[in-house]
Amino acid sequence: MIFRGRHHAHTHTQDHHGHSHSHRHRFGHSHDTGGFSIDYYAVNSGIRHWDPRFKAAFSMLLLLCCLLGNHPLISLISVVTAAVITVGMGRLAVDRYISVLTIPLAFIIMGSLAVGINFSRQPLGDWNLFLHWGYMYVTRESLMEMLFLMLKVLGAVSAMFIMTLSTPSFELFSVLKKMHCPTLLVELMHMIYRFIFILTEVQRNMRVAAESRLGFCDFRTSCYSFGQIASNLFVVSLRKANAFYDAMEARCYEGEFVFLEEDSVVPAKMILTAAVYFAALFLLWWFLR
Amino acid sequence: MIFNNTKATNTDASGAILQVKDLHYVYDEMNVALKGINVSIYPGERIAVVGSNGAGKSTFFLNINGVLTPEQGEIRFHDIPVTKKTLKQLRKNIGIVFQYADNQIVASTVKAEVSFGPMNLKLPREVVQAKVKTAMEYMNISEFGDRPPHYLSGGEKKRVAIADIIAMEPEVIIFDEPTAALDPVNASMLEEVLSRLSEEGKTLLISTHDVDFTYRWAERVLVFCDGQIIADGTPLEIFRNQEVVERANLQRPMMLDVYEGLVSAGVLPDDQAYPKVPSELQAYLNNR
Repeated sequence: MIFRGRHHAHTHTQDHHGHSHSHRHRFGHSHDTGGFSIDYYAVNSGIRHWDPRFKAAFSMLLLLCCLLGNHPLISLISVVTAAVITVGMGRLAVDRYISVLTIPLAFIIMGSLAVGINFSRQPLGDWNLFLHWGYMYVTRESLMEMLFLMLKVLGAVSAMFIMTLSTPSFELFSVLKKMHCPTLLVELMHMIYRFIFILTEVQRNMRVAAESRLGFCDFRTSCYSFGQIASNLFVVSLRKANAFYDAMEARCYEGEFVFLEEDSVVPAKMILTAAVYFAALFLLWWFLR
Repeated sequence: MIFNNTKATNTDASGAILQVKDLHYVYDEMNVALKGINVSIYPGERIAVVGSNGAGKSTFFLNINGVLTPEQGEIRFHDIPVTKKTLKQLRKNIGIVFQYADNQIVASTVKAEVSFGPMNLKLPREVVQAKVKTAMEYMNISEFGDRPPHYLSGGEKKRVAIADIIAMEPEVIIFDEPTAALDPVNASMLEEVLSRLSEEGKTLLISTHDVDFTYRWAERVLVFCDGQIIADGTPLEIFRNQEVVERANLQRPMMLDVYEGLVSAGVLPDDQAYPKVPSELQAYLNNR
């Protein structure tokens, strides 16, 4: 998933708006669904300046409400809230939001089908289908349950996307650090994040170079080229890691990443709004119970 | 060493920022990278370091910054021998702008990136903030502050890499092949920055393959060849020495060839004018 969207990261260095679908894509997969696109959207989000802690907390709370509330109306409210925040305030284009939402759609459908459909030796349920060994059947209740489950998962996922589509990975790392997540983990995340970009660029260059020499003309050659690139990538990454470390040492690195971070304060108004929102959600849940 | 300029042979090197004596560095048995480097670097010098690929320039830089530990030899910083204790002082005061910005940039926003050096020096927050702000304004990247560096263009990344070092306010700044992979606009912007830094009294060491740049910009040239410094002098001394030029596989600067051609053809008198850029030649011709 991460590799599919890699072109975008490198072709859109400057423009915030011209995120066109037309270029550098083969075989017409027109969706920008990939790890890098998500990072790119997050960097350019209209609500990027909100405190990452606030966004993370809001997302998580909404996610919890959606799961614990366990009511289709609350799920629906989550979906709508997330859409309003991400598309309305974050200024993410609707089609891109939808295409990002389709990433987990396959999982949602597969998972929900298992709930909706049952098997039996006897013809049961409101609708059934004879399948040689037995019957596959659905009931009205199981169908409703399936739909509600899908809605619930969709609500939970879009609650998560509030955070994902507005907070770049590295800001989340700093939130984790503030939450006293082990330094080693956070620093590894930092390094991995930086290296993903460096290595995919190297990989892309090698791939293009191989392609220009007919390295991907048929299946056999493709396999061979892929292997060569993979092993080269390993060597290159080792060399890069060395160069990286030298450069860090040259700037007095002594075993811990320390960066200047803005200490932002979450405006009281935002906290109040969030509090009112969740209180309303809680009341609604109370009455629906 | 073929010859020295007066400064470098000066045995009373009290004013030197950095003295390197008999420096040896070995990567492995097969690859001896540096074979006895002797050099002193004085405040405010503009030094070009030339020599073919693999001559030991980058290894030398990493040694005098303290990232690599020499096999043998001594490095003195302000006349104090560099040891484990004083290593940090050395690293703080000798900054390297690496050839590939991608290998240097660690942080995920430009501002955090520029702050990496000063933060490692354990300076107070306000001081770091001020230094970062100054460095970013210096390199004209203030507007990118919150952007992730990997979404910037090559030239912008290079500016970030330079701001990284400026924020640490070192006495000596080393640029490892800074103009490689820069387009003409960015390259001339870089030259402007170099002039500005030099005017502000920074000591600059620049490794380059651009002989024309060396000729017009540097006041001292170190020629590396096969792990040794084979010549150390003014650009004019170096490039007029055929032996050095051939041994180090250098080319002669275009302006030098043009001027000497004009002199030998009898067009100009042999008055040692040696204009370094076309505009100087123009002015020289107009004054005659």
